[in-house]
Amino acid sequence: MSRFFVLTLNGLTQGAIYAAMALALVLIWRATKVINFAQGAMAMFTTYLALFAIDHGAPYWLGFVIALLSGLLLGAIVERVIVRPVESAPPLNVVILTLGLLLFFEAIAPMAFGGQIRSFPPAFSIVGLHLGGSQVAFSPFDAFTLGSVVAVMILLLVLFQKTNLGLRMRASAFNPEVSRLLGIRVGRMLTLGWALASMVGALAGVLIAPTFLLYPTFMDQVLVYGFTGAVLGGLDSAMGAVIGGLLMGFALSYVGGYFGSDLETVGALVILIAVLMVRPRGLFSLQRLREV
Amino acid sequence: MLEVVDLTVAYGPVMALHGVSLTVADSSITTVLGANGAGKTTLVRTISGLVRPRSGSVRLDGRDITRLAPEEIARLGVAHVPQGQAVLAELTVDENLRLGGLWRRDPNGQRRALAEAYELFPPLASRRHLAAFSLSGGERQMLTIGRALVARSQVLLLDEPSLGLARLVLVQIMARIKTLVLERGLTVLLIEQNAKSALSVADQAMVLHLGKVVAQGAAHQLLTEEGLRHAYLGF
Repeated sequence: MSRFFVLTLNGLTQGAIYAAMALALVLIWRATKVINFAQGAMAMFTTYLALFAIDHGAPYWLGFVIALLSGLLLGAIVERVIVRPVESAPPLNVVILTLGLLLFFEAIAPMAFGGQIRSFPPAFSIVGLHLGGSQVAFSPFDAFTLGSVVAVMILLLVLFQKTNLGLRMRASAFNPEVSRLLGIRVGRMLTLGWALASMVGALAGVLIAPTFLLYPTFMDQVLVYGFTGAVLGGLDSAMGAVIGGLLMGFALSYVGGYFGSDLETVGALVILIAVLMVRPRGLFSLQRLREV
Repeated sequence: MLEVVDLTVAYGPVMALHGVSLTVADSSITTVLGANGAGKTTLVRTISGLVRPRSGSVRLDGRDITRLAPEEIARLGVAHVPQGQAVLAELTVDENLRLGGLWRRDPNGQRRALAEAYELFPPLASRRHLAAFSLSGGERQMLTIGRALVARSQVLLLDEPSLGLARLVLVQIMARIKTLVLERGLTVLLIEQNAKSALSVADQAMVLHLGKVVAQGAAHQLLTEEGLRHAYLGF
């Protein structure tokens, strides 16, 4: 099997996870114009909660559900308790708060769960599948990763585009004042938006943990790549975030594969700068359309 | 019945309204007139909860709504059509209209209200699945007014609906609103720059000047008061 094919498959799986992280960031950005720098650390924390349950005898799937539900809850709590009081302050205040949260979670995780590197069980085998006699670099767990990210994206798409709740959430994000005049409880929509974003982040956490191993800062890199993907996609477009995340996955896989994994991070930076030089608003921003 | 009692509003050190009182009876149209900066928009924004007054109160059917959140006031049946064609530009025309009455949780009533809105504004019907930012200024104004009508609220606050609208469309909208006033007992507070046309549809009128009430009374009376017209209304 050609090297390019292996790297492409690898990039697809990694990209799905960056896409989930990018989507989580974009969901919050669209609703509150804030980049939640604690997104990765929150996902790290919920992944630890899942591992804690599994350590105490829970089956993998219960751990998986615990990660997602605790993500949902954590997002709602963070919005209500931390973000809400500074809602009317300049956006920079909230950004600094999310940086504080990042430090907070990374500091309490070792206290709560121990600071040593842990392995996280995968849901399915991580050994490559056998197709037509030869082994490919695509395991059942990779298929699960890809499948669950796609499933979550479809669910979110249906929620936002096909339901009244989603319509209210979109309206609140685009224009809170007008939305309130239309009787929409914008505060609740914001809480729900943070909760959903945090759940998508938590999904990224449990999906990447078996490959990356689990330690208090293991999501930092995913956050950076997810953020780069989100910026590539234009920050305000969910579809752009997904495509941006996938592009990051492919690009980093090729850079790592052909030039050595030391250059991955530099590669991410180069891509970001290159794209922003050509398209300062990202690849899929709605902004340009609106100016017409 | 919508009552405003001794309302005083300030933006920092700048006074916007000084002890303004106003009663809008059910099934009637009251117009608030005055030049730019008279405090007209501040008055409606305070009624709908977007601006907090320094003192005074707003009552809806005897209930004090002064400190309620805007979304709760809207849910009590006060529809505020803000100034400046405030459509949700990224959403489609249909989504904008539907949002008007979502809080009622009455899908059947909403379908009828939506159909009525499209009937009243045919240009919107032909653009129903386009994003609102593609509409012209006049169409956007139709959309904000249509959206408020879909809510079937008891009280309608219209902040300069004439801006950007062709004269003929405006006449049509006001005729429709007049019908709703007579048939459904709609209560309307109409903010206008164009005093002459507003006075011709309104029952009661109030003139604001630099945040103070300088005249109040039946619309047809104000229309005939020579001195007032020259001093404040410019016709």
